[in-house]
Amino acid sequence: MKKIQLGEFEEVVLLTVGILYGNAYGVTIKDEIEQRLNREVTIGALQVTLRRLESKGFLTSKQGDPSESRRGRPKLYFEITAYGKKALEYTKESRDELWKSLPKLVLKLK
Amino acid sequence: MNRIEPPSFILHFLRWFCKPEYHADIEGDLLEIYERRVDSLGKTRTNLLLYRDIILLCRPGIIRSAKITQPLNNNGMFKSYFIMGWRNLWKSKLYSSLNVLGLTFGMVIFLLIGLYVYDELNFDTQHSKGDRVYRVITHEKNQHNEATTVAAAGYMLAQESRNALPEVEMTTRMQRLGRRNLVDPENPVHVQETVTGADEYFLQLFDFPLIEGDRRTALKEPNSIVITEDLAMRIFGKKDVLNKNLQYDFMDAPVKITGVLKSHPQNSTFNFTSVISEATWMSDEGFRREMESDWASTSFTVYALLRPDAVADSVSKKMTRVVYANTTMAPGTVIKHSLQPLKAVHLRSEGIADGARNSNVDSIPQGNPVYITVFSFTAIFVLLIAGINYTNLTTARASSRLKEIGVRKAIGAVRSNLVKQFLVESIITTSIAFFIAVLIVALLLPAFNDFVNKRFELFASVGLRFWAAAMMLIIGIGILSGGYAAMLLSRFNPVSLLKGLKLKNGGDFSLRKALVILQFTISTVMIISTIVLFMQVRFLNNTELGFDKDLMVVIDVNVQKARSNFEWVKNEMSQLSSVKHVSATSRVPGEWKSIPRVKLKKEGSTAELQIAYTIAADKDFISTYGIELQKGRNFQNNADSLSVMINEAAAKILGITDVSDEIIIPETARNQFFTPVYDDASLAFKPRVVGIVKDFHFQSLRTKIEPLIITYYANPIFPIDYYTVKIHANDIEATLGKLKAIMVTNDETEPFEYHFLDDQLALFYIEDERSQTILGWVALASVVIACLGLFGLATYSAEQRLKEIGIRKVLGASLLSIIAMLSQDFMKLVLIACCIAFPLAWVATDWWLQEYAYHIDIEWWFFALSGIIATGIALLTVSYQAIKAAVVSPVEILKSE
Repeated sequence: MKKIQLGEFEEVVLLTVGILYGNAYGVTIKDEIEQRLNREVTIGALQVTLRRLESKGFLTSKQGDPSESRRGRPKLYFEITAYGKKALEYTKESRDELWKSLPKLVLKLK
Repeated sequence: MNRIEPPSFILHFLRWFCKPEYHADIEGDLLEIYERRVDSLGKTRTNLLLYRDIILLCRPGIIRSAKITQPLNNNGMFKSYFIMGWRNLWKSKLYSSLNVLGLTFGMVIFLLIGLYVYDELNFDTQHSKGDRVYRVITHEKNQHNEATTVAAAGYMLAQESRNALPEVEMTTRMQRLGRRNLVDPENPVHVQETVTGADEYFLQLFDFPLIEGDRRTALKEPNSIVITEDLAMRIFGKKDVLNKNLQYDFMDAPVKITGVLKSHPQNSTFNFTSVISEATWMSDEGFRREMESDWASTSFTVYALLRPDAVADSVSKKMTRVVYANTTMAPGTVIKHSLQPLKAVHLRSEGIADGARNSNVDSIPQGNPVYITVFSFTAIFVLLIAGINYTNLTTARASSRLKEIGVRKAIGAVRSNLVKQFLVESIITTSIAFFIAVLIVALLLPAFNDFVNKRFELFASVGLRFWAAAMMLIIGIGILSGGYAAMLLSRFNPVSLLKGLKLKNGGDFSLRKALVILQFTISTVMIISTIVLFMQVRFLNNTELGFDKDLMVVIDVNVQKARSNFEWVKNEMSQLSSVKHVSATSRVPGEWKSIPRVKLKKEGSTAELQIAYTIAADKDFISTYGIELQKGRNFQNNADSLSVMINEAAAKILGITDVSDEIIIPETARNQFFTPVYDDASLAFKPRVVGIVKDFHFQSLRTKIEPLIITYYANPIFPIDYYTVKIHANDIEATLGKLKAIMVTNDETEPFEYHFLDDQLALFYIEDERSQTILGWVALASVVIACLGLFGLATYSAEQRLKEIGIRKVLGASLLSIIAMLSQDFMKLVLIACCIAFPLAWVATDWWLQEYAYHIDIEWWFFALSGIIATGIALLTVSYQAIKAAVVSPVEILKSE
């Protein structure tokens, strides 16, 4: 379980792909993150992350049909793999674990 | 719909840097967003955002790696070419080995000759400023309109051009003063050396590598000497001899060694072993005064280093002007200077006398540009023949590979694939051949070195450039000879190939024929040239010279006492039982040093002065050399000091028919220039002719027999310089020992230098003999290579016609008629080749023979013999295959159909 560590942006992208289930490709992922989290995402950062996640085995991709608005360029749809789900779960669990151990006092500090 | 297009260059940029597998969908995303933005933001802003996005895409994960700009599968194809090429070569072992063998032969010859030619062409390239160094040449015309060209100039010319001409960076003077004994005073062993003097710039202008000493100061002080390591080893037996003293026998003071030079490389025209500083004689007041007015003499070899942008022609004109500005010539005499590049000295000095040397110093050896040209051509021709072999064999065998080509094309090979396939095959073949050739050259090199009298090492002596050039050329040959086959074979249409249609390649076949004809033409020309050379060299060595050259020991007179005391020496020598005759002369027939000349005419004649060579001799000259006296008498005693004998040629030009005529000799020349015999120019040497001798070849057979005057040994022109001893054949070693003992008894500093006259005469023709041998081998190799090709072609054509032969035999053809049928195709080609070769060879050899005043006639049987050799070998080669094909039982051939 050593390689399963996810970066913050990686986690966001992975989750978004999950949210968009079946319709996750470059533009939708970008829009989704931008809307939900109100932060700007550049295509470069997004693409690099997607490819990295794919090469780690957290995502798979398949080519979709070319569409007219893309001048005949294909869409590349992403999907979370079982391994990717595991990675998300592991990340969440480890966060929860940490949350639990946090002394109450600290939370009261505002 | 009017869509707004994004700027295309930025998309090209994306395509250029992006990993190809990511490119399509990333571009899709960009375009989709672009589309969306354009509606809300307008074109300009959208474009800016697109630029930003794309520039932000330039990240390590997206940019493709630089390595795989080439699709990988090309490398895979090359691997496959190699494997296939190797398999194809391996499959047809006979043809492959014929190819490799032919190419190897060609390359061995090419490399060996290449080494030799490269060396000859790269003389004196060791000097870093060499391409700016020029030798000053003097062209002189005297009042009789006689022109002389000599590589020498005056003392002040060197001095003044250095100071007065801005284009001249530096000059140096060198002179060879004669041969003298040089000894180590602590351990006197007498070594006779050429005395070379040079000024202090000599070592700065040239880069002769110094082992010890300082090149700027070594030749500055008087009584300094720089010697080569070679001489140091001979005198001292060691190389660290700086500051030791040496003594020349003609000088009072010893000279100090101020530098030790590395021995000269073999490609150097300089062969001095020691250099004395010019300052040594400049300390003499009289000498200095004489030198300071020496503008137009030819006592010095002058080298000038020009500035990089100087033009040699204009500099030499200025030099001439400098000379005229400072001195007045003798009336009627005109001189002109020119500058000869240092690189041209070895090969391009024909007609330029090697000046500034005493007449007893050998002139520097010259290269022969004719032979260099001939050799280069033959080397290239041999390589060409080998290349043609390859082309011929490959195209001839094309049809057996047609199926292979057809299948390749059907699977999808494009033409360039097939071309590459064939080229790779030919490069494999040439590489193997090259590798073997280098091995063979390495083995042959010691013998070759011996033979051409050079010291080549395989890699050290010619450097990388030679091998790079050789590699390039050989790969070039590989590509050229494979290229034609490749272009031809890859052209066909795959359908017809696979259907098994016969190819109509008539054009190709006639080209093959032409190539065979070319091969045999070259070979036949070489055979004829070899025969002519061989006959000419034999003629040169066997011609009756008009004097006895066998068992003659020629001893140099090197010390003064050997000259003054010669009566005693002669007497001692003639008392030895093994000595038949002894004679003392100034020069000997077949002389290797320059023979002095005189100008003369018959007393009372009004004709122009004639020029004749002169040898001084004693009364035993005629008997020792066995020269025939035609009229008159020999010298008898010292009363004959005013008598001369002349040869027939001299008698003819002087118009002398009778002995007892008097002749007038006003001028004489030891080297290039005539000077009066006596200081008072109005006087002349006036001897009486007492005898006329039959013409004999006192010079090389290249020149006609010139007029010759034999003066008595006591004469005002030239003293004696040699003893010639005719000895008995038995126990030559002991005789030599006794002769040496006499010479040493006479003067203990005598170094005893001797030659055998016949060996010395053979040296005249050594170049020719060498060339004859080289050409012989090359001719042999070219015939062998051409025959290898022919053998391959014959084998192939016999294979192709096996069925035809079977049917002919069934129908009753005789063995002989089948052999004839198979052979005649090829024999026709060889005969045509002979017809082309004969006139070519005749012109070439005739041109070469014109170099010799005495030469053989080209006879018909040279051509007949070479024709027989060429056709004979070709016939043997072809008929072996023809007989093999003809004796096979027709059943064997036809049963499979």
